[in-house]
Amino acid sequence: MSNNTENNYEINIIHLYPDLLNLYGDKGNIACMQKRLEWRGIKANIHQCTNKDNDIDLKTADIIFVGGGSDREQEIVCGMLLEKKDEIKDYIEVGGVLVAVCGGYQLLGRYYQTAATKIEGLGILDIYTDAGDTRLIGNVVLESEMFSQPIVGFENHAGRTYIRDKHTPLGRVKYGNGNTGESGYEGVIYKNVIATYLHGPLLPKNPQLCDYILTCALKRKYPEFEGLTPLDNELENTANKYVANKYTKQI
Amino acid sequence: MRKLLAVWAAKLASVAGRIVGKKSSSTPGVLALKICPNLISLLKKNITKGVIVTCGTNGKTTTNNLLNTALQKCGYKTICNNLGANMIGGIATTFAQACNIFGTFKADYAVLEIDEASARRVFKHIKPDYMLITNLFRDQLDRYGEIDITVDFLNEAIDMTDRVKLILNGDDPLTAQFGEGREAYYFGISEQVLPQVDETKEGRFCAKCGEEQEYNYFHYSQLGDYYCPHCGNKRPNIDFPATKVDLSESMKFSVDGREIDVNYRGFYNIYNILAVYSALNVMGIDTSNFNSVLSGYRPQIGRMELIPLGGKPCILNLAKNPAGFNQAIQTVLLDKRKKDVIVAINDLANDGRDVSWLWDVDFDKFSGANLSTLTTTGIRLYDISLRFKYSDMKIDNITSDMKSALKKCVDNPESEVCYVLVNYTALYPTQTTMLGLQKELGSNEIVALDKVGGERNVK
Repeated sequence: MSNNTENNYEINIIHLYPDLLNLYGDKGNIACMQKRLEWRGIKANIHQCTNKDNDIDLKTADIIFVGGGSDREQEIVCGMLLEKKDEIKDYIEVGGVLVAVCGGYQLLGRYYQTAATKIEGLGILDIYTDAGDTRLIGNVVLESEMFSQPIVGFENHAGRTYIRDKHTPLGRVKYGNGNTGESGYEGVIYKNVIATYLHGPLLPKNPQLCDYILTCALKRKYPEFEGLTPLDNELENTANKYVANKYTKQI
Repeated sequence: MRKLLAVWAAKLASVAGRIVGKKSSSTPGVLALKICPNLISLLKKNITKGVIVTCGTNGKTTTNNLLNTALQKCGYKTICNNLGANMIGGIATTFAQACNIFGTFKADYAVLEIDEASARRVFKHIKPDYMLITNLFRDQLDRYGEIDITVDFLNEAIDMTDRVKLILNGDDPLTAQFGEGREAYYFGISEQVLPQVDETKEGRFCAKCGEEQEYNYFHYSQLGDYYCPHCGNKRPNIDFPATKVDLSESMKFSVDGREIDVNYRGFYNIYNILAVYSALNVMGIDTSNFNSVLSGYRPQIGRMELIPLGGKPCILNLAKNPAGFNQAIQTVLLDKRKKDVIVAINDLANDGRDVSWLWDVDFDKFSGANLSTLTTTGIRLYDISLRFKYSDMKIDNITSDMKSALKKCVDNPESEVCYVLVNYTALYPTQTTMLGLQKELGSNEIVALDKVGGERNVK
């Protein structure tokens, strides 16, 4: 067991455009990462990067978070992010941790095709999204080989996201729709990128996923890092189990 | 003949519903519409003076019912869906209920609150002469998709009307935009009242050009004196401005040189009262007795409703979305007494299945609310508990038993007041539990009255 306090560890979390992409309680994910670091004595610096904050140096980030927004707001963000495309790509290719939710997930792909327009994405992930006629809305339960507990959350998206071969999905859909409603898979994991349609307070109910993200960031920054101190996850696990059991038979 | 059958069926269904103790008032109307699909348009000729419709995310029911009370006090005969069933079925129920056994009725006004997404369906049957829109906030997103969709729905509905007079919240950029190119009257609070805190602002982006707008001052959420530096869109000229707002004792403000003074709680009630005042004026109704209308009006259940339990004041409040909850929290913060807080969160269809909005509520502020105990309950009790845990707040009781939770608060010698904040489907069961417990515990008299922010309207 490492003693994190002694190591004076410090993690910089950059929340991209919370003023624009903040549709479904994305704050919950930031608060969860922050608290789970702080409760272990690791300093968490949260930088809210707004649309006025153009000089931000993404290289200083240990975790980048991109949330979801309405179509209108997403288009604005897309324009701004295209200017940072290379910077984000470099960050990801060298193992930078990035968590993208909903609109943020779609933005990482090649494009988002709606009935009216084709919004160009960052093309960092080999995925693309077509708008469907209906919204895929509801609770979701995923099974992932990386975690012993299911991933539970809520989705609300019109986009159908198709992922190409080189990317692994985040999980197999046990309940809900996922990437396309038909593929049986949800989200993407690529290097240290985690992208998903499960929006808002995803991490509080999925402590294993949150700790995985934190571990990736800490390992990358501090090669000697030995692992996170365990926390009391009773409430988190109960909340997770409640959703999982309600929508699926015991996994 | 079909009309008569439909009316009778609806009446029978209502009676049956009451016998089995169901409070839903939309089912009889749904049944009536199955028998006679054009029931509402057949019955609308019984309304002689006009139809006024209220839409908007928050304050709809309060505004609609207060407007109804005001019209009745002025001697008008009205029909009103005052139980809050506001989709097409609820409207049909209201019309059928108003009928005598011959399937007809006489009324001066129909006073209807209508769900934003249902307005375009209802307007196929009955077109309003006046339409009041209170505000638009993020609400039940999994039902509506996004707020932009709600705007589209309402625009579509308004376009179906002929020569409707709009009464709009001019402080809300999302609502004020409906007035563009239409006959519209605006109400608003025309001075800075509250501290300028940062909270969820849904409509911060200009409804016209999408750029970020700025504020000379704002009240809460996106409401305030806004302007867009980019395209020049700004808060419209306010026809009914509230000024001289004073919330220190009761609630006071001035409009048209008239002082309004009521024993209501919650800043948002200024908007509700102002909306009604504006609507009455636009309708050409005499408002000289407005203060007496207000003092005689009892807000419907769960709007900061005082239910004393065993000598302790317990206050039940419904909040459905971040804006509503933030307003409730602000009201709780104004009460300086030592308090228990119970928060109940459900996720049934009428609540919205998605509970992620809990993270858009400033629950952290409870840490400065002089809490004695904090209790979480409801179907999604673990989600709300996590919300508090990640604000570093201690939860004293996580339980699915509202009655035992209430009892603990009543028995808590340390607290002077108990606030019960619930979302939509938790409201009626909670009120039933509270009233049951009130009977069980006997005395309704409040024992300890506090001077600061104390409840004065003891029954």
